[in-house]
Amino acid sequence: MSEEAATRSSLGYLKPYRGAMVRGVVMLLLTNVFYLGIPETLKRAVDAIDATGADADPIVLAIDQMTGGGVRRELYDYIFVLIALLAGFAVITAITRIVSRIWIFNAARAAEYDLRSDLFGHLMTLSPAYYRTHPTGDVMSRLTNDVQTVRAMWGAGLLNLINAIVAFVTVLGVMIATDPIVTLWAILPFPLIYIVGQAMSRRIYSTMRGVQAELGALSSHIQEDLGAIQVIKTYGLEDVRRKGFVERSHKLLAQNMEASKVRIQLGPMLNSLAALGMAILILFGGRALIQGDMSKGEIVAFSGYLARLVWPTLTLGFMLALVQRGRASWVRLVQLQDEKPEIPSGTAAPLEVTAKPARVEIKGLTIAIGERKLLDGIDLTMEPSTITAVVGRTGSGKSTLVDALCRLIKVPEGTVFVDGRDVTTLPLESVRSQIGYAPQEAFLFSTTIADNIAMGYGGGSAIPAARARELEAMGAAAEKQDLRDDAKVIAASESAGLDRDLAVMPEGLATIVGERGITLSGGQRQRVALARALAAAPRLLVLDDSLSSVDAETERKILKNLRAVMHGRTAVLISHRIAAIKDADQIVVLDQGKVVARGTHTQLLAQGGLYSELYRTQLDTELTAQREAS
Amino acid sequence: MAILAPAPGRTPPSTAPAAPEEVVLGKAYDVALMKRLWPFIRPHWKLLLAWALFMPLTIAFELAQPALFRYALVEHMLGNNIGALPVDAAIYLSLVVAQGGTGFCETWFLQLAGQRTMHALRIAIFDHVLAQRAAFFDRIPVGRLMTRMTNDIESLNEMFAQGAITLIADFIKMLAIIVVMLIIDWQLALLTFATLPFLIVLVEYARRLMRASFRQIRVRLAAMNAFAQEHLTGIRVVQLLGRGPTATKEYDEINAGHRDAYLGQIKADASMYALVEAIGSVAIAVVIWYAAGHRTSSIAMIGIVVVFIDYINRFFIPVKDLSAKYAVMQGAMAASERIFQLLDTKEWDGGDVKATVAPAPDPTAPAIEMAGVHFSYGAEPVLRGVDVKVPRGATVAVVGATGSGKSTVIKLLTRLYEHQRGDVKLDGVDIRSLPLAELRERITVVSQDVILFAGSLRDNITLSRDYDEARIDDAVRRVGLDRALARRGDGLDATVAERGSNFSAGERQLAAFARALLRNPDVLVLDEATAHVDPEAEELIERGVAELMRDRTTLVIAHRLSTIRNADLIVVMDKGIVVEQGTHDELVAKGGFYAALERTFRRQDH
Repeated sequence: MSEEAATRSSLGYLKPYRGAMVRGVVMLLLTNVFYLGIPETLKRAVDAIDATGADADPIVLAIDQMTGGGVRRELYDYIFVLIALLAGFAVITAITRIVSRIWIFNAARAAEYDLRSDLFGHLMTLSPAYYRTHPTGDVMSRLTNDVQTVRAMWGAGLLNLINAIVAFVTVLGVMIATDPIVTLWAILPFPLIYIVGQAMSRRIYSTMRGVQAELGALSSHIQEDLGAIQVIKTYGLEDVRRKGFVERSHKLLAQNMEASKVRIQLGPMLNSLAALGMAILILFGGRALIQGDMSKGEIVAFSGYLARLVWPTLTLGFMLALVQRGRASWVRLVQLQDEKPEIPSGTAAPLEVTAKPARVEIKGLTIAIGERKLLDGIDLTMEPSTITAVVGRTGSGKSTLVDALCRLIKVPEGTVFVDGRDVTTLPLESVRSQIGYAPQEAFLFSTTIADNIAMGYGGGSAIPAARARELEAMGAAAEKQDLRDDAKVIAASESAGLDRDLAVMPEGLATIVGERGITLSGGQRQRVALARALAAAPRLLVLDDSLSSVDAETERKILKNLRAVMHGRTAVLISHRIAAIKDADQIVVLDQGKVVARGTHTQLLAQGGLYSELYRTQLDTELTAQREAS
Repeated sequence: MAILAPAPGRTPPSTAPAAPEEVVLGKAYDVALMKRLWPFIRPHWKLLLAWALFMPLTIAFELAQPALFRYALVEHMLGNNIGALPVDAAIYLSLVVAQGGTGFCETWFLQLAGQRTMHALRIAIFDHVLAQRAAFFDRIPVGRLMTRMTNDIESLNEMFAQGAITLIADFIKMLAIIVVMLIIDWQLALLTFATLPFLIVLVEYARRLMRASFRQIRVRLAAMNAFAQEHLTGIRVVQLLGRGPTATKEYDEINAGHRDAYLGQIKADASMYALVEAIGSVAIAVVIWYAAGHRTSSIAMIGIVVVFIDYINRFFIPVKDLSAKYAVMQGAMAASERIFQLLDTKEWDGGDVKATVAPAPDPTAPAIEMAGVHFSYGAEPVLRGVDVKVPRGATVAVVGATGSGKSTVIKLLTRLYEHQRGDVKLDGVDIRSLPLAELRERITVVSQDVILFAGSLRDNITLSRDYDEARIDDAVRRVGLDRALARRGDGLDATVAERGSNFSAGERQLAAFARALLRNPDVLVLDEATAHVDPEAEELIERGVAELMRDRTTLVIAHRLSTIRNADLIVVMDKGIVVEQGTHDELVAKGGFYAALERTFRRQDH
C-alpha cells in the first residue's frame, strides 16, 4: 500500500454530489426531529385521555354532547389537535425520510458510476504484462465486488451511521429533559448492546472467514476435478472423487452451521439486552410514576423512546463493519488506480498519416525476463513493400518479436524504429494504428462478425447485439450501426476467405459469435481475426501463425488473396508452413532468441541447416495433400 | 402476505425455452421451481417440523411482553403497588430470555434443514456434472460450473436464512397480533385494521415497482460484467486495435444504464420503508382517537393504548424489510433456475443407452482395430478415415505433427469422444457395446500432462484402491519412482499439492507409470511427454516406459526417437489421415515423410 493509498479519501468521489448529499443529510436530521414528535404527542395525548377520563362518565359525556361546551369540550378538541399532529408528523417524517434516502442513495449510485468508469478506463491502459501477473478473476472482483462494497459504505453505511448518531442525540436529549434519572437507568444496557454487538461481530467475522475458507477448499476440489475430468473418466475415478467431494461439502455444512450458531445468537442476545431497558423502566419508571415524578404519558413516551433507540444501536455495529469492509475495498481500488502502465505512451508528434507502406528497423533488440533472454541482439530491417517471414521452433522468440513490434511489451529506447522514428518516443496509438495484426489465438468479441471485422478500422461495437437490443429497448444504449453492407467489411471478409463460411450462415455477417451466439471453429476464428487485420488497411501487416488451424486448401486460397492484399504493404509472416512463406522477400530463422540464418527461400535451402530440414519434412506433406486432392 | 401469492393467470415459466444464463429473471416465488426443490427439502421434514413447533412458542413469548407491560402499568404502577414492580420486571426479562431461547432453536433447526438441503443439492450437481461426456466440458466453462455449485447454492440457501420460510413465520406472527388485538378490544382492533387496505395496496404497488426494477438491474449488471470480463480477457486485442477509449465509452453507456436501473428500486425501497412507518403512525393516531372518544375507565384505556401501540409497531416491522426479503427470494429463485437448467442438460458420458454385458472377445482379432474412423469436434474434420491395427502384444507408435489428429485417436479409444463414422474395436468387439467402466478398465491411458490430485502420493498411485503393499512397492520400484523419491528424500506418503505442483514433470510421469502398472491393463495407451527434463530424470523415464510396456499391447503417441525405433510398427499421421505405416527400417528406406521427420527428430534429440 502506498502512502497515498492510505491517505486518499474515497469521499472525493462524493464531491460532485455533495449538494445532494448535504440535502439528504439535512433531510435525515429533519426526519429524526419530526420523528420525535410522535412519542411527544403520544405523551400529551395519554395525559389528556387521563385527564378527560378521570371523571369520564357516559352521562356526563352525553350532556357535553347536547350542551356542546364546557371545560371538557376544550380537552376533547385538544385531543383532536393532537391526533391531527400525530398524523401530520407521520406524513412529514415519511416525506423527509423518502427524500433523504433517495438523495443519499442516488448520490452513492452516481459516485459508484464515476468510480467504475474511472477504473475501467484505467484498466484499458494497463499493459498486457499487468494482466499476466493479475488474474482476470481478481481484477473483475475489484471492479464488481469492491466497487459495490465502497458504494454500500457511501450509501447505506453513511446514512445509517448518521441516522444512528442523530437518533441517539435527539432521543437522549428529550429523555434527559423529561427525567434524567430514569433515563440514566434505562439506557444503562445500551453500551452493553454495543460492546456485545462488537464482540459478536468479531466472532461472526472469524466464523465467516472459516466458511470462506471451506468454500475455497470446496471450490478448489471442484476445480481440480473439472480440470482433471479426462483422467477421472478414463481411470473410472468418479466414486473416489465423489467421496472426497461429499466430505468437503460436509465440512462446509458444518462450518456454515458453526457460523449460523454465532449469527443467530446475536439477534436474541441484543434483543434481550434492549429489553433490559424495558424491565428497568418497569422498575424505576413505575416507582417514579407512583411517586408522582413522572406522568402516565411520560411512561408511555419513554417506552416509545427506548424502542426507538434499539434499532440504531443494532445497526451501529453492523454499519461499522460495513464501513470497515468499504475501507478495505477502497484500499484495493486505490492500489489498482496507482498501477501505472508499464509501457508509457511517447510524447513526440505522431507518425504522419499516410497510405505508404512502413519501413521498420530493429537494431540490437534484446529482451530478457530475469536471466532468460527471449530475444538476443536482433538486427532486422524491413523495407517498405517487402514481406519478411520469421520461422523457428516453439519458444525461439518469434512471438516476442511480434509483441515488441506492436509495443505490447516494453522495448529499450533506440531499438525499434518505424519510418526512422524510435517507437518509444511515439504515442502508443500512433504506432498501433499503423499495424494490422492477426494472432494465432484469435480473440473475438461476443458481437456480430461484421462488428468484429469493423473493429479493425475503429468501427463496430463490442456491445453484443442481443444485449444492445435489450439495452436499447430499455432506452439504455444508443442504436447500433448495421455493418452488414459495409464495403470495407465485405472486402476484408472475402480476402480472408470467409465468404464460403458466411454463405452457409443464415445471418451472414450479422451472425453473433461467442457466448450468446454460435461457436466458430478455430480456423474460422482465425480468419475473422485476419479479416479484422486486413480491414485496418494497415501500413504494416503482421500475421502471427494466423492460419495454423486453417486446412491446407483454404490456406492456399487465402495466401493467394493475401498476395494481392499485401501488394504495397510491408508484411511480417510467422508460420510453421513453408508454403506460406517461401515467396517472402527475406526469411529470418530464429533459434533461442537469436537470428541464426537469413535470406531468401533458395538461399536458405542452399545453406542446409534447420530451414532445409523443415522444408523437406513439409514438402512431402504438401505432396501428400495434393495427391489426396487429385 | 400479498407478496407470496403468485400473480393469478400467469403460467410458470418452465415451458419457456432455456434462456442464456445471464437473462434468467427469477420471480420471487415460483411454484414450478419450488416443486423441483421439494425432493431435496423433503428428507429434512423432521427439522422443519421442529422449526414449526418452536416458531409459535417464540411468537407467544414475544407477544406476551406488551401484555405484561400493560398489566404492570395498569395493575401495579397505576395501582400504586411498588412492591410488585421487581416481580414484573423479572417476569418481563424471563419472557425475553425465553423468546431468545426458542428463537435460537427455531432458527437453528431451519438453518440445519437449509444447509442439509444445500449439501444434497451440491452433491446432486456434482454427480450430474461428472456423468456428462467430455464434449460438455469443452462447451461449458469451468467457472460457470463452479458458480452453480458454490455461489448459486449459497444464494439459494439465503431463502432458508431470510427468505420464503421466515416470511411464513412473519405471516403467522402478524396473524397472531391481529387475533390478540381482537381479543383485547375488538372494536378498537377493527378500527385499527382500517389502515390495512392502504398497506396492502402499498405493498402490492411496491412489489410491482421492484419486480420491474430488479429485472432491469439483473440484465444491465450481467451486461456490464460480461463486457468488462471480455475486454479484460482480450486486453491485447483491445490495445492493438486502439480500442481503449471506444471501449470505455461503450462501457460507460452500459454502466449508466446500470446506475439508472437502480432509480426505480431506490424509490420503491425508500417509499415502502417510510410509508409503512407512516401507516403505522396513522394506526396509532386511530387508537388515540378511539381512546379519547370511547372509554369507560381511563386507567384501563391507557393500558389498551399502550399495548396497542406496541403491537402495531411489532406488526409493521416485518413489512418494513419486505423489500430486502423480496430481493433475497428473487436471487434464490434465479439461482435455482440456473441450477435446474444445468441439471436438465443431459449429455451423458457413453450415450443414453448403456451396455451392461460385454460380448465375448474374439481371440483371433487384433487388440485394437480402427477402420475408416472419422471425427470432428465442430465444423472442421480432425480424423478423416483413419485405419490402425494394434496386434496383441505389439507396440505401435503413432507419429505426426501437432494437429495431425494423433491425440484424438486416444480420446476415441476410451470413448471420451464418440467417433462419428467407422469402427473401433477392442479384441474384435465394438467398443460401443462394452460397458463404459469395463472399457476404461481394460485400456489405461497415460497422458503427457500427468495430473496428480491433492492428497498423498500413495493415494495418487493406488487411486484409492486396495492393493497389496508388496505389489505397490514392486510397481514403484519397477518404474524407478523409488529412486526419484529417494532423490528428493521423500516416500510414498509425501503430500501432493494441488495439481501436483510440488513434483517435477519427470516425477509426475513416473508416478503415472506406477499408477498404470498397478492397474495392469490389457492395453496401454501412452501419450509421451514432450516436456524437457534433466538427463538423469530422462534416463529414469526411459527405463520406466520400457518397464511399463514390457509384454503389453501398447499404443504410443511417440515423441522420442528411442521409443519410435523400438516399436513393432510405426504409423505416420498427417492432417487426420494415416500417410505411412511400417517398421523404422522400412520407412527410412522408403525415404518418404517419416524419413524426413526422423532427421528432424535426430536434430532435436541430440
